[in-house]
Amino acid sequence: MSLGWSHKHRIAEAKGGKKGMGEFLQYTVIGLTVGSFYALVALGYTIVYGIIRLINFAQGDLSMVGAFLGWTLLVSFGLDRLPLYLALIIAFVVPMLGTAVVNLGILQFAYKPLLKRSLLAILITALGMSLLLQNTAELIWGPRIEAYPPNLLPSTGFFMGPVHVTYVQIALAFVSLLLMGAMVLFIQGTTVGTAMRALAVDHDAARLMGINVDGVIRLAFVLGAMLAAASGVMLGLYYVQIQFTLGFLLGLRAFTAAVIGGIGNIPGAMAGGMLIGLLESYTTGYLSGKWKDVIVFGVLITVLIVKPTGLFGERVAERM
Amino acid sequence: MIDRLANHRVARTYVATRDQLARLPFWVRVIVILGAVGGSVLANGDDYVTAVGVSVATYAMLGLGLNIVVGYAGLLDLGYAAFFAIGAYTSALLMTQAHWNFFATLPLAVLFTGTAGAILGYPTLRLRSDYLAIVTLGFGEMTRITFNNWDYAGGPNGILQIPWPNFFGYELNTQGDFFIVGLALLAVAMIFAQNLDHSRLGRGWVAIREDEFAAESVGVPSLRLKLFAYVMGGMWGGLAGAFFATRIGAIDPTSFTFQLSVLVLIVIVLGGIGSLPGVIVGALVVVAMPEVLREFADRRLLIFAVLLIGMMLVRPQGLWPRIRRKPKPFYGLEEEESEDVADKILREHQVQMEERDRRHAAAGRQVPQRGEALLEVEGVVQQFGGLRAVDNVTFEVYRGEIFSIIGPNGGGKTTLFNCITGVQKPKRGKIRFDGRSVVGLRPHVIVSRGIGRTFQGIRLFKQMAVFENVMVGLYPRHRTMTWQAMLHTPGERNDEVRTLQESRRWLGFVGLESVAGRLATELSYADQRRVEIARALAAHPHLVLFDEPAAGMNPTEKLELVGIIRKIRDLGITVVLIDHDMSLVMRVSDRIAVLDHGVLIAIGKPAEIQQNPLVIEAYLGREEDLVEEQAEGA
Repeated sequence: MSLGWSHKHRIAEAKGGKKGMGEFLQYTVIGLTVGSFYALVALGYTIVYGIIRLINFAQGDLSMVGAFLGWTLLVSFGLDRLPLYLALIIAFVVPMLGTAVVNLGILQFAYKPLLKRSLLAILITALGMSLLLQNTAELIWGPRIEAYPPNLLPSTGFFMGPVHVTYVQIALAFVSLLLMGAMVLFIQGTTVGTAMRALAVDHDAARLMGINVDGVIRLAFVLGAMLAAASGVMLGLYYVQIQFTLGFLLGLRAFTAAVIGGIGNIPGAMAGGMLIGLLESYTTGYLSGKWKDVIVFGVLITVLIVKPTGLFGERVAERM
Repeated sequence: MIDRLANHRVARTYVATRDQLARLPFWVRVIVILGAVGGSVLANGDDYVTAVGVSVATYAMLGLGLNIVVGYAGLLDLGYAAFFAIGAYTSALLMTQAHWNFFATLPLAVLFTGTAGAILGYPTLRLRSDYLAIVTLGFGEMTRITFNNWDYAGGPNGILQIPWPNFFGYELNTQGDFFIVGLALLAVAMIFAQNLDHSRLGRGWVAIREDEFAAESVGVPSLRLKLFAYVMGGMWGGLAGAFFATRIGAIDPTSFTFQLSVLVLIVIVLGGIGSLPGVIVGALVVVAMPEVLREFADRRLLIFAVLLIGMMLVRPQGLWPRIRRKPKPFYGLEEEESEDVADKILREHQVQMEERDRRHAAAGRQVPQRGEALLEVEGVVQQFGGLRAVDNVTFEVYRGEIFSIIGPNGGGKTTLFNCITGVQKPKRGKIRFDGRSVVGLRPHVIVSRGIGRTFQGIRLFKQMAVFENVMVGLYPRHRTMTWQAMLHTPGERNDEVRTLQESRRWLGFVGLESVAGRLATELSYADQRRVEIARALAAHPHLVLFDEPAAGMNPTEKLELVGIIRKIRDLGITVVLIDHDMSLVMRVSDRIAVLDHGVLIAIGKPAEIQQNPLVIEAYLGREEDLVEEQAEGA
């Protein structure tokens, strides 16, 4: 249940001889890279929560599903023999679509019948879904740690002053920024995006205005799953190793990011993701990796208690 | 033939035994049933079966604790394993480091986990329930990681060689011994849980679960009750943890993962949320199923996940659902003469009022006499964004009168009520009741100061019977403590009987005694409003605020309502009323205040209000407007 194992060697790499400012900047680069993965998952949480007020516990596990679908394509189907760019496009797009189908199934089968029932019932179901995804993945892919093709991406990079930046880091951060940017444009700039925002405020009013409420909810689940799957594939490419349990902590950290950013607030979720990534990287670097999660949860609890609307303000109206 | 006879006899014996059992008090039933189960398992003598039995008992104890938090108080706790861990570590450290006896460590384990519950609960109770779930999850993980990193407690290796418990010189070291201890602890936990469920706390929890806002507004201290639930849930977990530690003999952080929290949640979801026998059934399924279906043991989490989702979709009430309590209202009360009811209420209420006046006078406070100001509202302002809902409103309500507040929709009437009852805090101004400020107090405190209310949209507790709704209204007047409720002491029993008697009297007072056992939602609109009135009166208020009590009533029902309001006034209770029915307001009120766009535009006797040009203008529009409209129409 930890993402920490290979993080450690990256940090150790970073520690190699550098001190002071250089060290700090190195942790910052790592933090921002990891943070961009969290931001993607957090975005999924925020979109779904904004629309149906459901903490979809399975969000992190959808990432895991995406990571394994990508792994299957690259390793079992031998996609790594194709030209690199083609392999990467397939390894991103197919898992994103596959995970979207899974999430739609979850919505239709499990959440839909419960939307009108108590919050407790739907939360428990969401928890069950997370468990189900994990254990189904264990059934399909086995309990062992699997590895992405290690030499798929070049491990080289360049030095910016004392800071070592790899091309992979840049590429992954670029892809996540691209996805996030596309999401913001979609939600702010299109009619469907406007419908989503209307739904976040009032379901009944939106329905009366002729918005296809069920359709928009489905769309939110599709988008959430696609973002999660993309982040899963990126995790695989970056950390190399994946396991069926990786969704649990990833989901929790991403949820923390969504809350810190103010749930329902899309730029907030991105900023929150970066903050959590940085926090984690600094804690691992300066303190010790074993207190990392205590600090992340400590921040989560403190934010929820002191400022439950997040640092950048919540964008959902509380329904009575 | 003989066969059939035998069957018949068996069936008859079974039915007779069952009925006899049902008549026994709960604690006797628990001891008889657990004793019988324990006896037969021990007589079987199979160590393996006994060991499974010990695990079932452990999970059942955990389930009982989580059931208090999730089932009774309705708060989803996803970090329950933390309490189990704290209990286990407390007991194990005391036994290994300080060489305490196992039984001596129990109080401390329970104390520590109860404290942990309070520490977790206190700052988090105002959170939305879904956020609370995440906070508890985080708390559970933090606790586990902390134990994992804490060298004194053995770090990742945990604590080894925890000694067997010693019971007055007899070392408990077989599965059978543990089974007996486990069943005994389970029996205690079950009896306490049942007693809590059937006390005023249990009623308060149901009320909070159904409608926290309404519960708080009729005098249930909702935050304190939720905190209680956390503390007690934690204590149960601590008990189970200590027992687990000594039985296993070695504990380490991997015994207390998120997975365990989920398993305990599955125990109560399978069994039936809120149901005590359900917890046992759930524990049996969770522990015994993987033992029976050996070949699927690796896949047990997959099976549980499917079960969890399936239960929520198909059978959310669980395998052994919680039964609604007390099908018959006022069971076990001797009959009272119904004509005496009003007299009794009057006498009792006068005694209460005089006592209170005396107390206040003794405390050096001025007690408003009949006709003097009981409620003083001075310069109250309430603002929502740019909108001034209540704008510098000042008036007094005299003790013993019927005072109405009228005005067009959106005039600020309900907002004013919310300010007086503590639901909202006014931006500016003073509100004094009985000479003391009530601004900034929590709604339930204001109820205990003597202000009761009803709601514009009816807010009864839907899953409760009518009489139970009224009993919730009596919450602030209970004198028993939590430990008394847990032990079901004679004092607590008397208190409950008194509560039942009074709720019956108040229902008689509003004329609804005959429907006391029905669900609140089964009544007509008008009758639901009367239940709300009875619930407000049950707290023995000095002042009641009725928000549109006549809305949705037909003329006959309105007439009855006028009678009830007058009867309430005759009890010496001051009545403040919001309503739109002018003929009712004019008939029943001593004085009337008119609010328009948050501003008090008139106050006086009904006849004066009817003549007041400002009031006429507020209701009908200005004369020029009328003329213009007519001109346009022509």
